[in-house]
Amino acid sequence: MKLIKKDEFLNFVDSLIKIDPRRVIGVKSKGNKFIFDTLNSANELRLDYDVTILPPKKYFLPPTETLLKYDLTDKFSVEAVNEVTPLIIIGVHPYDLIALQQMDIVFRDTYQDHNYIRKREESILIGVNIQNVSPYSFAGSMGTATTEEGFDLMLTDLGDEYAIEIGSEKGEAILNKYAKIADADGDTINKVHDIKGKIASKFKKQLNFPPEELPKLLEENYDNELWEKNAQKCLSCGSCNLVCPTCYCFDVQDIVELNLRRGKRVRTWDGCLLEDFAKVATGENFREDRAARYRHRFMRKGKYLYDRFGFIACVGCGRCASACLPDIADPCKVFNALKEG
Amino acid sequence: MKPKVAFFDFASCEGCQLQVLNLEESIIELIEIVDVVSFREAMKEHSDDYDIAFVEGSIARPMDEERLKKIRSKAKILVALGACACTGGINALRNQYSIEMVKKGVYGDADIENNPYFDVFHTKAVDEVVEVDYYVYGCPVDKDELTKVITSLALGKRPEIPNYPVCVECKKEGNVCVFEEGKFCLGPVTRAGCGARCPSNNNACEGCRGLVDNPNINSELEVLQKYGLTLEDALERFKMFCYREMSK
Repeated sequence: MKLIKKDEFLNFVDSLIKIDPRRVIGVKSKGNKFIFDTLNSANELRLDYDVTILPPKKYFLPPTETLLKYDLTDKFSVEAVNEVTPLIIIGVHPYDLIALQQMDIVFRDTYQDHNYIRKREESILIGVNIQNVSPYSFAGSMGTATTEEGFDLMLTDLGDEYAIEIGSEKGEAILNKYAKIADADGDTINKVHDIKGKIASKFKKQLNFPPEELPKLLEENYDNELWEKNAQKCLSCGSCNLVCPTCYCFDVQDIVELNLRRGKRVRTWDGCLLEDFAKVATGENFREDRAARYRHRFMRKGKYLYDRFGFIACVGCGRCASACLPDIADPCKVFNALKEG
Repeated sequence: MKPKVAFFDFASCEGCQLQVLNLEESIIELIEIVDVVSFREAMKEHSDDYDIAFVEGSIARPMDEERLKKIRSKAKILVALGACACTGGINALRNQYSIEMVKKGVYGDADIENNPYFDVFHTKAVDEVVEVDYYVYGCPVDKDELTKVITSLALGKRPEIPNYPVCVECKKEGNVCVFEEGKFCLGPVTRAGCGARCPSNNNACEGCRGLVDNPNINSELEVLQKYGLTLEDALERFKMFCYREMSK
């Protein structure tokens, strides 16, 4: 573990911005919310944030991304597109790091998704331990309030300085190159350990049972009337999907230029709450009912992906709960309600 | 053979046809893939021989109905262009009053009796008079979406028009929800395709693209009330562009 004074940390970030060839992303304020965005200066960083509007997933699975371009002008020619901008992302909370680790499994599973994988491989993640808890978040119950992996560097605020855990050689390399650091002594290591141990208890919102029980609970409640009841208020706007760090569904479309000779294939975020999500070419819709779509997302987070990959695909960030205008998307509320029966 | 295309306008500001001209240098590509045979806003030539008719504007008078039916009978494909054509648009605002009141309000004591130009009825969207094959929504239409529709038709395929609400595009933009800034937004029930242009510029969505196929109006009304509107004011929000749907 290393230590860096706060003013030295700002110098480190400014050096990354000015000297390092990678683009530097950090958490900034937007209105009274926070976003991941390109940093122009270290002073813009808000490491005391609670949660960002969108998770850092947007840099690895962009909202809209070109997959290939074609040209029929002479003979048929097609070119795979993989636009990779190497990034250094500063200020990722543990739940988002864990979500990205889940996405790494999904995008490397049966099909190696090079567009995702290359972006991940070319990037550096600098995490920060949570200082302020979002009122919608229940990461403390999901085992995602802290993490020992998934980062290249991890910061913990110690008042005048940050403790830095090193998670990878890439992380260590930028530290050695750009930062003025000291070694942390045993007391500091214990202090960081203490701080991390207390983060989970700061979450007011709690799941009333261990998340390991979710797959069975959801299986038993597939026909619970709660789905229908809550779905009556569902706008089918997909906001819960779109802000989620573990929702990875996308739609693929071909966009043809007006000349009809050139075009591109793009993928863009999709969401299982949207009416046409499960509609196929014949017009058949496999989840036509609002309630079926509403249930599907919870089943997916707590059971289907667990069955497939062995992890609960909700990291408790609370973004869906915060984005849902009729206030029906909150997984913590829904899971607790199912448990109470 | 290039498809022959004609543009027509009814009660409208012609802003949607202007969006065609706003394609600027791409117009050269446009006329390479289609033959524009009639387009009053851009050329003086006219032909009644066309395959695809783009119709802008809402239908306000019996004489408009007759003209539209003739257009339909000649066109293999009819596309409603813009909010007025697709939903009646803001012209349908007058439908909340009696025709006598509307005439009186606009023309006062002027002598308009037996003048067919002033023989107005409650405003209709194009599909209330003839069958519409495709819709290009918006006030005005979006150039990129218009391009998509034209290229799809030229290739003989069905244009993909979103059936999801503006929230989708707004979330992709990473915007702060305008409800949180004290604005009352129709984005959750309005058809996307605009790139969430208004909320991305700190304005509430006014619903110019009309509603999605199955909007949850009751939930949207509850949300508008939760954020501080009375039910009456919440309903009023829909009138500007969604009068037809809301009066059903």
